[in-house]
Amino acid sequence: MSGKGGERGERKMETGIAAVEKVGGRSTVTRCFSKYPLKLIVPNKVGSSKTDAVWIYTLSYGGGIVSVYKSVDSKCSEQVLEARIGRNALLAVIPDPVTCFSTARYSQKQVFRVFSDSNLVIVDWITSGRHESGEKWEFELYRSTNQIFLEEDQPLFLDSVLLEQASTCSIAERMQEYHVIAMVIILGPMLKHVQNQVQDEVKKMMSRHFRVPTPTAGHYMRSESQSGPTRPALVASCSAFGPQAIGVVVRIAAVTTESVYMFLRHHLATLEPFLGVIPYG
Amino acid sequence: MSEQTQNCLMDCDMEEMSADNVKTSPADHLQQWSQWQLLDSILPTGGFAHSSGLEAAVQARFVVGPEDLKFYIIQVLENTGSLLLPYVYCASKFPDVESWFKLDRLLEATLTNEVSRKASASQGSALLRVAASIYVEIPSLKQMRDTYLGSGAASFHHAPIFGLICGLLGFDSSTSQRAYMFITMRDVVSAATRLNLIGPLGASVLQHQIAHVAEQMTKKWMDRPVEEASQTSPLVDIVQGCHGYLFSRLFCS
Repeated sequence: MSGKGGERGERKMETGIAAVEKVGGRSTVTRCFSKYPLKLIVPNKVGSSKTDAVWIYTLSYGGGIVSVYKSVDSKCSEQVLEARIGRNALLAVIPDPVTCFSTARYSQKQVFRVFSDSNLVIVDWITSGRHESGEKWEFELYRSTNQIFLEEDQPLFLDSVLLEQASTCSIAERMQEYHVIAMVIILGPMLKHVQNQVQDEVKKMMSRHFRVPTPTAGHYMRSESQSGPTRPALVASCSAFGPQAIGVVVRIAAVTTESVYMFLRHHLATLEPFLGVIPYG
Repeated sequence: MSEQTQNCLMDCDMEEMSADNVKTSPADHLQQWSQWQLLDSILPTGGFAHSSGLEAAVQARFVVGPEDLKFYIIQVLENTGSLLLPYVYCASKFPDVESWFKLDRLLEATLTNEVSRKASASQGSALLRVAASIYVEIPSLKQMRDTYLGSGAASFHHAPIFGLICGLLGFDSSTSQRAYMFITMRDVVSAATRLNLIGPLGASVLQHQIAHVAEQMTKKWMDRPVEEASQTSPLVDIVQGCHGYLFSRLFCS
């Protein structure tokens, strides 16, 4: 895994590199380097010592990677992560959500290169801002790009979400009452059971919200002022992707951050044997 | 009339004819017939089977009134502009099979929403089949279809196919992109009438009301490289992805 950071307009420099390899049958950090403003921390022990996993925490000086401050001179805060995942290996990228403050501009790009038997879990999510201060989707720009390539640069998953204030429609109007959006990618043969469980449960959860249309369907256009069932507080959909559906992507919108933490805790719990702890536990 | 005056008058006539030709030649006139046919909803491409997530949006109560409907359609147009217009642009600018195939593979990886991915492939395949039959003066359409259909190597996604056909028919890339936005709007509005959200006359009024917004979106998102393709309406994407969870449905997506 290598991390890169830098401000637009300046020369991009690698500010961090880490490598994890099997040494003597155990996953070991064979390389770890970071320099300001990035810091990579490798705690000695996270979770059970029986688990063969390495945890790497990333920190950014200046308030943490997850908080993005006001943009100065329309510079954009930019983060780039590039990772190569080997055969039969697993990388889980499980951060806290990004919170962009009012007028912030933030851009991140994550590129993953995998083999057909590599495994990958990516959580990428953002909240609407500092709720306490009444900030709701008030940042200027947020862009998050996630790309996964198979051997020989074959594109497997190319996604880019762009939220920008626009004259026709503000981000807040677009997001309505939802304060969090999240994306979870689960990829690889080792995670088939996790994929199947997520797909089944999301389908069950969402099916409850879809009412059967009545013969008087035309009437609901007139009764919008009447109270009735409201929109789901958490709405999600799940899609398979890739040859032989090797991957699954879940997209979520929720009113509260806590409900998404619960969702992630629940669905990623089956990763405990691989990671040593329950993510977001 | 003197011979001089006669010649002068003849020259004037010739100039007028040339001026007319510069504006619209017979070739341009013929092109308009092909253009209108391509954008006509009567073309049997199966566009009527897709609602761009509107059916799911209605059932999940994201669209309950006329203002919601208008807002939803605008969101769909914005997302179409930001995500798909680059593909129409590039395919129409480089309307050759090799470029098309690369775009098709890229879009396959970009349409991560399974519902919209399948809808795109289904509509694109139907459009190619129809275009190959109609535009026999462009043999490459049929050749390309024959080559890639059996192998399963291509998905025949809608936006690149649409751009390719426009390019091969001689439309400029600006018209091609505007046309793609038009047919997207056309199909969502049509779906709204069939979902009983709005009557046919009301739908036509709405379509004209939103036209200037659609034009704004087209201008905003046109002429971009595919590397910039992104989605700008996450809620629309999520709701569209829920189509498979609907208890009963009229549409495929």
